[in-house]
Amino acid sequence: MNIIEIENLTYSYPGAKAPVLNHISLQVEEGDFLAIVGNNGCGKSTLCKTLNGLIPHFITGDFEGKVLVGGLDTSQSDVGTLACKAGYVYQDFENQIVRPTVLDDASYACLNYGRKDYLECGRKALALCGLKDREKDYIWQLSGGQTHLLALAGALSLSPDVLILDEPIAQLNPEHADKIYGVLKELNEKYGKTIIVIEHHTEYIADYCRHVVLLKDGSVVWKLPAQEALRRVEELQESSIFPPQVTCAAHEMRERNRLVCPVLPTTVEEGRQAFAGLRFSGNQKRREETEKEQENEPVVRFCDVSSSYRSVKGEPRVIFDWLNLDIRRGDKIALIGSNGAGKSTLMKLMTGLIRPAEGDILINGESILKKKTEDLSKDISLVYQNPEQMFIKDTIEADIAYAMQVRNVENRAERTQKLLERFRLTPWKDRDGRLLSGGQMRRASLAIGIALNPGILLLDEPTANLDIATRKEIMRTLADIRNVTETVLIATHDMQLVCEWAERIVVLSQGKVIADGSRDEIFGNEDILRRAGIRPPEIFQMGRSLDRRALCYTIHEFMQSFEEADI
Amino acid sequence: MIGKIKRKLSDNIMDKFSMDFLRNQVLKNAYGNDDTVIAKLDPRVLLVWYLFLGLVPWFVNNLYFLMGCFLLVLATTIIAKVAGLVLVLFGIGVFSQTGYLFVVSLFFGGDASTIIPLLTLTLKVAICSLASVTVFSGLDPDRLSNGLMWFGCPERLSFSISYAYRILPMLMEEFQNILLSYRLRGNPPAHDTFMGKIRYLCYQVKIIMHAFYPLMLNTAKRSRTTVEALEIKGYRFAAVNQEVRKMKLSSLRVTYNDMLFLAISVLWISVVVLLSTI
Repeated sequence: MNIIEIENLTYSYPGAKAPVLNHISLQVEEGDFLAIVGNNGCGKSTLCKTLNGLIPHFITGDFEGKVLVGGLDTSQSDVGTLACKAGYVYQDFENQIVRPTVLDDASYACLNYGRKDYLECGRKALALCGLKDREKDYIWQLSGGQTHLLALAGALSLSPDVLILDEPIAQLNPEHADKIYGVLKELNEKYGKTIIVIEHHTEYIADYCRHVVLLKDGSVVWKLPAQEALRRVEELQESSIFPPQVTCAAHEMRERNRLVCPVLPTTVEEGRQAFAGLRFSGNQKRREETEKEQENEPVVRFCDVSSSYRSVKGEPRVIFDWLNLDIRRGDKIALIGSNGAGKSTLMKLMTGLIRPAEGDILINGESILKKKTEDLSKDISLVYQNPEQMFIKDTIEADIAYAMQVRNVENRAERTQKLLERFRLTPWKDRDGRLLSGGQMRRASLAIGIALNPGILLLDEPTANLDIATRKEIMRTLADIRNVTETVLIATHDMQLVCEWAERIVVLSQGKVIADGSRDEIFGNEDILRRAGIRPPEIFQMGRSLDRRALCYTIHEFMQSFEEADI
Repeated sequence: MIGKIKRKLSDNIMDKFSMDFLRNQVLKNAYGNDDTVIAKLDPRVLLVWYLFLGLVPWFVNNLYFLMGCFLLVLATTIIAKVAGLVLVLFGIGVFSQTGYLFVVSLFFGGDASTIIPLLTLTLKVAICSLASVTVFSGLDPDRLSNGLMWFGCPERLSFSISYAYRILPMLMEEFQNILLSYRLRGNPPAHDTFMGKIRYLCYQVKIIMHAFYPLMLNTAKRSRTTVEALEIKGYRFAAVNQEVRKMKLSSLRVTYNDMLFLAISVLWISVVVLLSTI
């Protein structure tokens, strides 16, 4: 039986010239686990909003065609009735939470729709989402992952048959991503819920989803079983979707006649069979790793630093206790570790935004305690995770120029133009930063960050919340500015970025540096990976499962390390 | 050594002006003391109590009676564990209302006897403020808004109160981050000399005003999702539904503790009235 039937749906936003959704027809079976993929602006979110009646009841516009959810025609039913049929979790889920305590928020919808057992509904939903023992907590006590689960519980409390999640794991570290997909899987298999996700992470699609819909320019290109869909490598890449690394590697090898496999593998498990005929020929050394330069002098030194922050109740929370760390000139460091390990605090300490409670931090040999934040900004610069908070002027041109202008830097106008050009922002220079696309915003924030030409650049999660195509683009940009700034430190969850970019990896866990070394030293050590909750890129796992000695971090390295065995 | 202490001290004072501190105090004030006796009382009882102590003192001029009321609200303020910032604001508030009058009166030939009439006014203001502090800071916003709703205030008002408390920490965090952007990239005037310090202060005020523009835009962008989520969660539906209103209020219950609290207050006030008439 089909739980969702869309017939010839065409929709355009009020005032828009072209329709966002164009003659869409789609059926979703009851109990399906469906992924919707497609490039930016192809109408994925809009499509999902037609399912819970926000379109056309709350957001008007030209609506044609028919949408049936659980047998109800959405244009005939009100939002309240539809909310009991289809629950929705937004990409910016933290804005979806409107009540101060956990149980309150989870049961709020039930209360509003006048269900007598609203607290019971809320509790049940929380239990399903693994938040059973947190019901009395205040929402700001939750971590990012838990907040997301709470948003899910809020949607689940009305016990809808369909759950829709917009990019559920874009903001989460791998640990939480596994957790949320675990919850979704249980809801799907045990409770028979139909799950629809908008998802860019094809590895997760391969592991969890049953069907995939590809949208392009507001139309459905196809709907296929997940494994079959992921094997259409070229079609997906055209829409800037990147199939799992294992699939891409097999595809490339097959193209070059180095591998015979009729069916492309989509998971590591399948890869083990498909690549069984390959022989390990030794690891490829990166150039930077082979010619080990002599150790440069440290530009930042943490000496026995302790730091803590206030909590609403009780004792202050300790972030660092006797932290010692040297950052050397020319280092390209990736700072990794689970949420709350202290990555952002470490960066704020270096820029003088937070003062250490104990100990000292030396920047270029001088104590940070004697310096003012504004004097430090010539040496060290911080780019926030959320670029919107860096836009303090009404055009990005003014934003980039701001720091130079207030310091009367010579030929600042010229330099601003150069920066705009380097980051390909010239066509949008008169726009407010907030109105740009995700990738443009990120590039603008990078341009602002290096405007004063600092010796040390700190980047907080530069690839978070981006779709994969934009992420690749930002990774190219980061590679580009590699030689512009001497010392760069990136705090990130993105292991592909770590593998492709970093020369030194520092692992933080519970306020302590638990490992510090090259990628072979970190990713080759399973104890560290487990302790810090790190998951290496899929292709690395693939290599390791074929041969324990293999350490390959990119598809390219994998293809060089493994060759066809002579028979 | 002395330099180090001085640094610690100035860091400590500067810290009190930080956005982080303010945000923390707001949260503490709203939710940090939900385990006190006051917080567990029924909001309706507290509102009635507040109505009495907020109004009656204005019509009485007996110093003993006022003193008695003042001691009562002082006790409840202590029990409610009100956040430090609120008490400081209270102190400044009372002084700006009446304290300065005493100073002024001294200039115009007044003496210690001026204290008595001024004390009456000061006590009235203090009783009223401390009673408000007890009720509005001791109760968490949700219980407060439920109490207000029971007395017939519209749903929209009570939702606004609890939502304001929900969004306030978010707003302050956003504001803090924008101010940090200004600190990272800006170039404030040197503030070693006295004139420099004044210029620095002007600069800071200017920055805070400038920061409002990005703050508003960022918040507007975020609230788009919130508005849609409220619609899905049936907020508009519930606002006009009497059944839902009843359900929301059914959680209010007058307990033994409420009775005890009222009894003690009434007893204390009667004793004070008795004493003041003798």
